[in-house]
Amino acid sequence: MRETVKLISMEGFEFVIDREAAMVSHTIRSMLTSPGGFSESKDGVVTFPDISTPILEKICQYFYWSLQYSRGKETEFHIEPELTLELMMAANYLHT
Amino acid sequence: MEMDSPLVRLCIEEACKSGDAVERWRLQRRSLEKLPPHLADALLRRLLHRRLLFPSLLEGFKHSVENIDLRGESSINAEWMAYIGGFANLLSLNLSDCQRINSSSLWPITGLTSLTELDLSRCMKVTDTGIKHLQSVVNLEKLWISQTGVTEAGISLLASLKKLSLLDLGGLPVTDQNLISLRALTKLEYLDIWGSNVTNLGAICILKFSNLSFLNLSWTSVTQTLNIPHLECLHMNKCDIVSISKTHSSPLASLKKLVLSGATFSAETESFSFTNQSSITYLDVSNTPLRKFSFLATMINLEHLDLSSTAFGDDSVEFVACVGESLRILNVSYTKITSVGVGNLAGHVPQLNTLSLSQTSVDDLSILLISTMMPCIKTLDLSMTRIQGFMQRQTQQAEPSFAALQSLTSLEILSLEHAYLSDTALSPLSSLTGLTHLSLKSTYLTDFTLHHLSSLPNLVSLGVQDAVLTDNGLEKFSPPSRLRTLDLKGCWLLSKEAITALCKRYPHIKVRHDFADDSSSLEQNQLLPRSSPLEKSGRRRNNQRPESSVAVPRNFVDQRLKYNREELVALQNSPLSQLLPREVLVSVPDILADL
Repeated sequence: MRETVKLISMEGFEFVIDREAAMVSHTIRSMLTSPGGFSESKDGVVTFPDISTPILEKICQYFYWSLQYSRGKETEFHIEPELTLELMMAANYLHT
Repeated sequence: MEMDSPLVRLCIEEACKSGDAVERWRLQRRSLEKLPPHLADALLRRLLHRRLLFPSLLEGFKHSVENIDLRGESSINAEWMAYIGGFANLLSLNLSDCQRINSSSLWPITGLTSLTELDLSRCMKVTDTGIKHLQSVVNLEKLWISQTGVTEAGISLLASLKKLSLLDLGGLPVTDQNLISLRALTKLEYLDIWGSNVTNLGAICILKFSNLSFLNLSWTSVTQTLNIPHLECLHMNKCDIVSISKTHSSPLASLKKLVLSGATFSAETESFSFTNQSSITYLDVSNTPLRKFSFLATMINLEHLDLSSTAFGDDSVEFVACVGESLRILNVSYTKITSVGVGNLAGHVPQLNTLSLSQTSVDDLSILLISTMMPCIKTLDLSMTRIQGFMQRQTQQAEPSFAALQSLTSLEILSLEHAYLSDTALSPLSSLTGLTHLSLKSTYLTDFTLHHLSSLPNLVSLGVQDAVLTDNGLEKFSPPSRLRTLDLKGCWLLSKEAITALCKRYPHIKVRHDFADDSSSLEQNQLLPRSSPLEKSGRRRNNQRPESSVAVPRNFVDQRLKYNREELVALQNSPLSQLLPREVLVSVPDILADL
């Protein structure tokens, strides 16, 4: 059971985040916990060839914000309007 | 249609926060094109809701959007339609109540081969010329043009739209000749011709529609019920049903839903033999002069029964009782039923979840009967009955009868709009923790009741009308966390200041009172309260479209924005504002209409 996972953007940027944070996404959660022996669940590395670096960074920030929020620290998650379209599509794909 | 994904919702809210925010992304053409349809639809809806949508912004969505719902938007005109004409993937377009839409503004959409659903209900300026344009939208499957300006000539043109499965021609002057021309529409499953000029002769043509499952002939002069083989739903409100054609070889075998509210019958039809009675699940014979109810005994699969405003009484209860196994909804308001009848009914309706006994002479005994023998009751209407809130036991001690309601664990909606109930009688209500909607109306109620009921944790809607509530009491009132509607109409002792202060303290609660500010100047995006005549009539006629949440035409909002608050209050007493149009047919009590 790994502590951290690695998420890779389309440009090859690697984001290392806590496993718990990554599991906020239902898609990532099923990738990491599926019994099918996918490489993702073994290595804890997931590649997203369709998600750009700034968007993936924002997604990771969202994961941590979401964990914080569910622990009672109710702050606002600010999203720059320019990012909303791409972020929305990524969030949709990630079921988060 | 909420997103399951919280982040998607956050993105949509941020994107639609203001005109500025929109500017920052509206030129991202490639992203807009790549949006999956459900996201594009949701984003568009939100922009509309926030009143940020304008034609050239709409253009950005032309590759991704599949559904556009602009109902009630009075600003939609030809310029918008010109942009919509470019939406190559558009599947459904709702322009109902868009008063500026006329025949020529339909021209741009003639090329939309993807369009399968088009709603132009109540666009009065659409005429036969508009239908000529629509003939080129060849893939239309569902078309609503009720109450438009289309005439007999235009209706015949619809025969060229061969793929039509749903056709709503309500309120249009459809003639028998039209029905002959429309024979070509063999795929028709849903036909609505209420209020038309169709007669028995024309009705015979309807037999040719072999796939028809829904037919509405209300308000026509058709007097026969038709033997359409696969018909599942028949509406003949306000018709004079004279004869059940004895020439029919077999009865309507698959009829599930029969709505005959306000119809009149000749003696021989009262036997309802024209239909295979065991298939009927929904029957509405409210407001009819029926006297004998023995026909109910064969309708063993009945789930929804409306007998309100008929001569139904205790002696006919046995017929309902013998088919009560699957009955879920029963409306016997304004009939002659008494507690004796309720006693005979209770125990035979194990699955009943909605019961209306309003305006009958049932008394407190019924409360006991219902509480002990109708365990699944969720919605209960006991307004305007002989209930007093107390049961006389053998020991002269009068016990509150509402205490018995505690055994109804599923009870959520309770209507007790009744002139004689007092605080003491209603005090047991505070133990009904599952209640979500409670409606009270009595001149004997005081602040005590208001406070007492504020302990109900799940309350969403509370009405304490006509009560003697004081400003002091209102100030001390702390509403339950889920409360969204508070009806204080008729509480004459309350001052304007107290009401305004209440509204300010709890902005998320809709307060109803003469002094309550209805012209929501803060949040112009809100849907208006459901009290417009258009909305109520829309509900009766469009009862096949439960998924649509009916909105009031936006032009009402526009009118009131012309005035400031002082002028609005001054207008309150003008004759026009006193009009309270009410639907003549079975009227659902406000509390149930709020659902």
